[in-house]
Amino acid sequence: MTNGGNGEGGSQRKKNPSRGNDFPYAVARMAVAQICESVEISTFQESHSREGARFSSFQESALERLTDVMIQYIQSVGKMTQFYANMGGRVEGNGLDIVQALEDLGSGLGFSGGHDVERCLADSGVVKDIIRFTGEVEEVPFVYSLPRFPFNRGKRRAPSFSEIGGEMPDEHIPVWLPAFPGTKMLKEVEESNVEKVEGEVKRKENGLSLPSMQQSVDVDRLKVQKSMDQEDVQEPAEEPEGNPFLAAPVWVSEKNVPPVLCPSEPTNEEVSIGLVPEKQTNKSHHIPPLEAHALPGMINDESRLGGTDDGEKTDSARTQRALLRFKIGTRKASMCWTIKQSLKDKGWFLEDGDKREKKVEREEKLETIDTDVN
Amino acid sequence: MNHGQQSGEAKQEDDAALTEFLASLMDYTPTIPDDLVEHYLAKSGFQCPDVRLIRLVAVATQKFVADVASDALHHCKARPAPVVKDKKQQKDKRLILTMEDLSKALCEYGVNVKHPEYFADSPSTGIDPATREE
Repeated sequence: MTNGGNGEGGSQRKKNPSRGNDFPYAVARMAVAQICESVEISTFQESHSREGARFSSFQESALERLTDVMIQYIQSVGKMTQFYANMGGRVEGNGLDIVQALEDLGSGLGFSGGHDVERCLADSGVVKDIIRFTGEVEEVPFVYSLPRFPFNRGKRRAPSFSEIGGEMPDEHIPVWLPAFPGTKMLKEVEESNVEKVEGEVKRKENGLSLPSMQQSVDVDRLKVQKSMDQEDVQEPAEEPEGNPFLAAPVWVSEKNVPPVLCPSEPTNEEVSIGLVPEKQTNKSHHIPPLEAHALPGMINDESRLGGTDDGEKTDSARTQRALLRFKIGTRKASMCWTIKQSLKDKGWFLEDGDKREKKVEREEKLETIDTDVN
Repeated sequence: MNHGQQSGEAKQEDDAALTEFLASLMDYTPTIPDDLVEHYLAKSGFQCPDVRLIRLVAVATQKFVADVASDALHHCKARPAPVVKDKKQQKDKRLILTMEDLSKALCEYGVNVKHPEYFADSPSTGIDPATREE
């Protein structure tokens, strides 16, 4: 079923986009119906009175076919116009390009003056036909008025400070901004702030295209969320603190990293057990990576045993770069639970930055502790 | 050279005619809304900020559709009427835009919209069983 659903989705995308459900297709269908309705052929009766014969109704499939044809026609005109504009080394098409495109499309039926090689485009028979057509046919505007994009949903805006005539909470807030609902009702402030920001955004950016509006609304919503998190009522009325893209670039320099806080001290048992196998594992070669991580954990515990509360200070004091020696060896079964314990307490579940710094420190202490133990 | 000058003057006049027509287009409202035409033109790659050119395309399209519709109407009217029982019924013939008339009209414009006469279950339906390849 899932594959069938995907197949249906894919096939729907491949279908002709001008389907009955499409909004522009529906509008085009109405326009075609209006045009067909207005078409009239006059017949002369015996009494010399004109009788106009019109279509009284349409077959739906016929109307849809004609709509498809009209859409294809418009697209062909656009394509040919752009083609002629590009041939002339231009990006935007002009009236003469349109005339040329219309001539090409109408060349099947022919137009007056088509035989003339040196004809002028502005004098083209196509243009004359169109002029004649507009003169003959009655003007039938489209029935519905299409909504302009973006359209206002008639959202009621909050009154501004000047409309309320209330006191200004701060000098930096302009008078024309919507007023706060009042410091009395703090609970409703958050909701109203969101609405206010949205209203501001819609007012500011009326007329822009939807993607940019959505982006701006999203950006403003993020800012509103930040302000809500900080529980600062003043922020929505102010402009955003600063565009991060326009901020000064950060210079690359050495950063004073604060010393890492070590986790709580482990019990003595762990450390004692950890000491013993270390001596024995000096000479073996292969170790799974899990146990390799456990080793530095063990070592860290030992170092802390020696220094209690001053563990941090000793760690920082021992940051001298020394040769790294990796101990590889086998592990006894009794070490299993201690390994797990150390994994839980130490490296695996800490943050990445702390983990890296701790690893470096542990590797450095490896050398020193070996000498101590030995 | 004279011919060139004359053609130059003629061009100016014709340019004036075209520009006049484009100016007059602002008074004439085509049946097809400008937004729709602009949408489909943009879809095919032609974007123009000038409203008059879009109206020109709208009017041209309207003329095209009207021509097709009038041809279909002619075909519809030219079809022999069914058997008339009363004289009054002949005048009350309702004209309906059918696929038949439309396909005949569009055929002249180079658009082939023919309906299949019947729908078959498979491509080999109706073929002599001896020649059918299985």
